[in-house]
Amino acid sequence: MKRKEKLEYADLTHILSPKSVAVIGATENPAKVGHAIMQNYIDVGFQGSVYPINIGAQGKIMGFQAYKSILDVKKPIDLAVIAIPAEFVSATIGQCAKAQVKGIVIVTSGFAEVGNQKLENALNKALSKIKIPTIGPNCLGVMDPRARNDTLFLPTYKIDRPKVGGVSFASQSGSVGSSILDLISAEGFGLSKFISYGNASMVDEVDVLNYLAHDKDTKVILYYLEGVKRGRQFIEAAKTATKLKPVVIIKGGITAQGAGAAHSHTASLAGSHEAYEAVFKQYGFITGDSLEDLLYFGKVFDTQPLTDGNRIAVLTNGGGHGVLATDAIYANGLALAEMSKRSERALRAAMPPIVNIRMPFDMSGEANATSYSKALEVLGDDPGVDAFMVIALFQTPGADENLVTTLIKFSEQKKKPMVVVSTGSAYTKSHTALMEASGVPVYDSPTAAARSLAALINYSRYKNGVEE
Amino acid sequence: MPELMEYSKANFLLKKYGIRSVGSKYVSTAVEAVQFAKGKPIVLKAISTRALHKSKSGLIQLNLQGEVEIKKAFTALTKKAGKFKPYKMQAQHMVKNGLEIIMGGNTDPQFGKLILIGLGGIYVETFKDFALRVCPITPRDARSMLNQLKSNGIIAPDDASKKMIGELLLKVSRLFYENDISELDLNPLILHDGTYDAVDLRILK
Repeated sequence: MKRKEKLEYADLTHILSPKSVAVIGATENPAKVGHAIMQNYIDVGFQGSVYPINIGAQGKIMGFQAYKSILDVKKPIDLAVIAIPAEFVSATIGQCAKAQVKGIVIVTSGFAEVGNQKLENALNKALSKIKIPTIGPNCLGVMDPRARNDTLFLPTYKIDRPKVGGVSFASQSGSVGSSILDLISAEGFGLSKFISYGNASMVDEVDVLNYLAHDKDTKVILYYLEGVKRGRQFIEAAKTATKLKPVVIIKGGITAQGAGAAHSHTASLAGSHEAYEAVFKQYGFITGDSLEDLLYFGKVFDTQPLTDGNRIAVLTNGGGHGVLATDAIYANGLALAEMSKRSERALRAAMPPIVNIRMPFDMSGEANATSYSKALEVLGDDPGVDAFMVIALFQTPGADENLVTTLIKFSEQKKKPMVVVSTGSAYTKSHTALMEASGVPVYDSPTAAARSLAALINYSRYKNGVEE
Repeated sequence: MPELMEYSKANFLLKKYGIRSVGSKYVSTAVEAVQFAKGKPIVLKAISTRALHKSKSGLIQLNLQGEVEIKKAFTALTKKAGKFKPYKMQAQHMVKNGLEIIMGGNTDPQFGKLILIGLGGIYVETFKDFALRVCPITPRDARSMLNQLKSNGIIAPDDASKKMIGELLLKVSRLFYENDISELDLNPLILHDGTYDAVDLRILK
């Protein structure tokens, strides 16, 4: 389908936070997708009206009054979720339009992605006749925990649903989408919106990016992108989006595009992959190398204030980790902070004689919550410190739940960005989970922590127009 | 299939955007080439739309000094260029040695026109040290492109050269963006003594 050239974005409001939902393909048969979707609406406690639609419907489906056709409902319907075999989808689109729904999600697969171009063309033709924002086909659909809306056909017992928060996640791919969603809940940061849009027959990355950019509940956008259909429009949407909020992006599916030999050196260097990289860099995206980066960067942007400065104070209770942290800091274009004379005097007075007053600030294995608290207080006021990397190794005698409280308290002040590194297993994890739940970004290696700080600082510089 | 723009037209376009190129002239005889040289060293090139890589096809001879050398090279090139007919012979003043860089443009199927700067010469393919942006670029983009290069410190060691290269990059970006062309190669651009020489030029419509 040829999309309009001028900028015009699909409004996804009614898809994300509908007041009423029709599930087309709803069934009592637990083996069917339509059943899982119905079950989820029950499980997540959707507060609006649910209308199960099934051509063979009689009486109720899963406790709700069922209808043979969406046209029989005769009440306002915000969202129609379509989960019926591919060959019936196009006809159903027309019925949804007649029923005046305000948004459609087509979960059904079996279109172009399996080589069924004929069905995809028929669907595109049906979609070209309507003006209703439509997501899919071949997608998981959407989730908005605030609105208790969930079109995902993944049973709630198989995948954790994140709590309500400020991170939104968009993914063309359903499988990447659901696995990241699962991990997001495990990391303890909350979700604003989740959108998986599959084949993008109508709503595509331009619409999704623009919608999330202007969504007031979204603080950070995480994006798994496989390709862009409308390049220049994507750039226009990106210019606005990245000035409004951080957009962390991972590009999958790097393949050679455009056959034929290059005619010039420039053409041979500037391939499709390089073009994407250029767009991401030029328009302020934060790029990650792996899916882990989405989580690493996501949590620092979700919880920490921005800073343009790259001078990092490292506090540690282990010398080796201090060295590793220093390496990671410089490897990522950051620098160790130099403390002021005033800070030096204050810390000298507060710390035992065996502690050297210099960066990285190694307070030894005896360091406890009081040592960390003092160091954060003094260096928090030092104008030569832009951000903190705090290494808290819970294997040491001095580190306990009081240290957890100290770090949470400092993070809550939002004075300067802080990332925490805690390497360890069960005992450590019990402490880091508390911190994560309270908005302290914790990493298990100095490398991941430094990468995340660098992402934060680079984005801040882009947003504020600071030269690299 | 993109079509190579005729050299004189391409050169005219360069001038229009204030980009200097090295003095050159089409010559049809060795004598004309000798007259063009005026005793200074020249380069002789056989230019054909059918041969995109002049040095690979052996269609270029460098640093020709004096009547004897020029005439000999002219004869040799004429022989080699035979299989790339039609071609034109071009004489160009030899430029000073310096650092070779590349500037260029390419059209991406998704994002449209892109501009590139990179370390040039024999290093282009080996190190692939280049920066790419979507056209049109801003002065900030131009600076950011230079900063992105690993060879940044060699290509632009001081503020004056940063400014000179940044401005040139903006001119190239404008030329590429505002004209109906799909590919552009200024390769090599030779940097020396705080200035540049655009030695070779290739524009594809």
